[in-house]
Amino acid sequence: MDSTQLTTLTGVIDKKMNRQLKQYMDICARCAICKDACHQYVGTGDFKYLPARRAELIRQIYKKYFTKTGEFVPALYEARDPDDNLLDELYDSTYACTGCRRCMYYCPFSIDTAWILSVAKAILIAAGRGNEMLGQLADAALFKGDNVEMFKDVIVSGFKDIEVEVQEITGNPNAQVPVDKQGADILYVALAGAHSIRPAAVIFEEAGANWTISMFEAANYGFFDGDIEKARLITKRFIDEAKRLGVKEIVVPECGHAYRVLELFYEAWSKEKMPFKVSHILEKVDEYIKDGSITVEKGLLTGTVTYHDPCQIGRNGGIFEQPRDIVQSLTDNFVDLTPNREQQWCCGGGGGIVAMEEFTETRLDRGTQHTPRSGYRCTSGHRPRGRSDAAQGQEAHARIDEPRDREPQRGTLRGAPFASSPDSDAQAAAYRTRLGSTARGRASNHKRISQ
Amino acid sequence: METYLWITSVWGIYLTAVVFFGGMAWRIYQWATTPKSPIRLGMFPKPKTGAGRFSKMLTDTFIAPQSFKIEPTMWLFAFAFHIAALGAFVGHARLFREFPILPELLGEAGMNSFAAWSGSIAGIIMLVGVLYWIGRRTYGPFKNLSVPEDYLLLFLLLGVIAMGDHMRFVYGDIVHAATYREWFMSVMTFKPAFPAKLLESNVGISLGTHMLFTDLFLMYFPFSKLVHSIGAFSSNLVRSE
Ligand code: HEM
Ligand code: SF4
Ligand code: SF4
Repeated sequence: MDSTQLTTLTGVIDKKMNRQLKQYMDICARCAICKDACHQYVGTGDFKYLPARRAELIRQIYKKYFTKTGEFVPALYEARDPDDNLLDELYDSTYACTGCRRCMYYCPFSIDTAWILSVAKAILIAAGRGNEMLGQLADAALFKGDNVEMFKDVIVSGFKDIEVEVQEITGNPNAQVPVDKQGADILYVALAGAHSIRPAAVIFEEAGANWTISMFEAANYGFFDGDIEKARLITKRFIDEAKRLGVKEIVVPECGHAYRVLELFYEAWSKEKMPFKVSHILEKVDEYIKDGSITVEKGLLTGTVTYHDPCQIGRNGGIFEQPRDIVQSLTDNFVDLTPNREQQWCCGGGGGIVAMEEFTETRLDRGTQHTPRSGYRCTSGHRPRGRSDAAQGQEAHARIDEPRDREPQRGTLRGAPFASSPDSDAQAAAYRTRLGSTARGRASNHKRISQ
Repeated sequence: METYLWITSVWGIYLTAVVFFGGMAWRIYQWATTPKSPIRLGMFPKPKTGAGRFSKMLTDTFIAPQSFKIEPTMWLFAFAFHIAALGAFVGHARLFREFPILPELLGEAGMNSFAAWSGSIAGIIMLVGVLYWIGRRTYGPFKNLSVPEDYLLLFLLLGVIAMGDHMRFVYGDIVHAATYREWFMSVMTFKPAFPAKLLESNVGISLGTHMLFTDLFLMYFPFSKLVHSIGAFSSNLVRSE
């Protein structure tokens, strides 16, 4: 292959090389224990989605260009150049990965395939094969960061509209969605869309918090795309804002990656300590309930209620109990799914995959959702499949104490419906209404998933 | 036969020792000198204390409870194989000297029969384990995932085990540990010589072939995925960082 291209691509690996990556490259036993951990492999049976295979593509380049044995006897390792064939497969296996790290949980050596794929993304970007959609969304976020004055009026007027709704919901004519509030304690960084702003605003107002809302959104398409510099700059937009306003705490919304980026990655990227605390909205709500800042009414939810641990705040973020406590403050009929907590399946929609049309099939073919056996459905837009290993995945996933025979309703347990699901608008609307009523403290049924 | 033995079981051992220890040292040096990822890659829940993390690492490395949960059959074979390999490894310590504890407890004859049955069990388990892995690698996703390195290692290991078992099951009654110890210690003390008993019987061929495979296996070891035997500790430690 073209030698400048080759130098560029191997250069990326060289630049990204660290002890973990090197060990992951050197020690994988290709035992394939990880195969049944990955919802995409279980759902599709497609070899390119087997976690170790995804990593193997990087290993093939590594062996050839970073080890003597691979250089002299490439055939032994099937070592090869990052040519078009390799990059084609790499693109699919890399951008489809939701970064859930369930494979890492089960691997006997704790190999972090998603971490290896972060190198794969850097290679793809260097080869001009990064995901176009994610790249554009990241650039748009950066453009907004650089030209915030240009967008300010539109953003603020959007917040004003929501403010009116918040006033209606809370019955408090002075309720606000404050922007740019100097001296606020909390900077809430929402997602783009009222569904992510209104409920939090109602809760902050009800709790009497001294808060303000960020002009920027928490979602980080730079991170999804795998361009770490962009990811850092996208985060930096609201880090700078938080510093300028002098807040004590940044609260991120449901978006799990946003939480992980902020809590676990940003300091390493920027090489500076953050002068504020980072909380997830669920931690905050739990705190408010426990300290009495907000009150919730138990018993308004009918039927059994469960909670599906999102990978990025659960296994990868360490928030397990607070969401359960919230649900249990709303109902006595809480039941955990099997598996749960750090073993929970990926919902299938993470890592930016919902923004990439080309992976819709892969995303839908996951076959590991709770439905129909349990009558619960953890995420929207997924449909069951008849493949045998898919059924097996379902079995593992679907055990729950009290199976329900009602037709499951499309709904989501934890947050925004996915943008690409066909009925997402209707769903979003329903979701908004439900959240609105929750906040009013009368019909707190936004956790209801099956009725 | 003497030449064969000299090549595989004297000079081969010296070469293997150099390549193996040098290779492992090189591998560890490479890992140690590559900077750690600035991002912590741990997953939750993680133990709060350093001691907790360390003991979780040991559990994850030696017991791999998560792997057991997802693929019990594979875990069973892998666990049995590794324990047997460890047992066989410890058993080979008899080549250095008789460790007094067991013989004292069991008596000379007791020791020999203990070594005979424990070694035989280990030998059989390892053989079964390797055959299982070879079999597993012949179908489905396991086949697609496998590369020649995997087969090479398993083939070499099969050679080591088969010839070890051959010596044990065919010549076990004729040649005892003391004879092998005489040869092995002569190699270790750089005064290599073969006891007459080894040269007289055909066991020499078996020993030579056992050593041939062992030499090749161990020389390749540091350059293969089998460095997981040392890498597993630090990569499992990263899990709770
Ligand atoms: C603490 C040390 C070790 C741990 C935690 C460990 C763990 C593992 C695990 C989880 C596997 C995957 C099972 C598989 O690949 O089928 C494996 C495979 C294997 N290990 Fe180890 N191992 C260790 C030490 C060793 C040592 C010292 C040897 C040398 C004989 C060894 C030889 C092998 C072989 C030959 C395989 C089979 C690879 C294959 O399937 O092709 N391991 N090990
Ligand atoms: S479970 Fe771990 S060691 Fe085994 S194939 Fe998967 S990544 Fe490699
Ligand atoms: S991180 Fe999740 S999606 Fe990616 S390979 Fe592992 S199990 Fe599959």
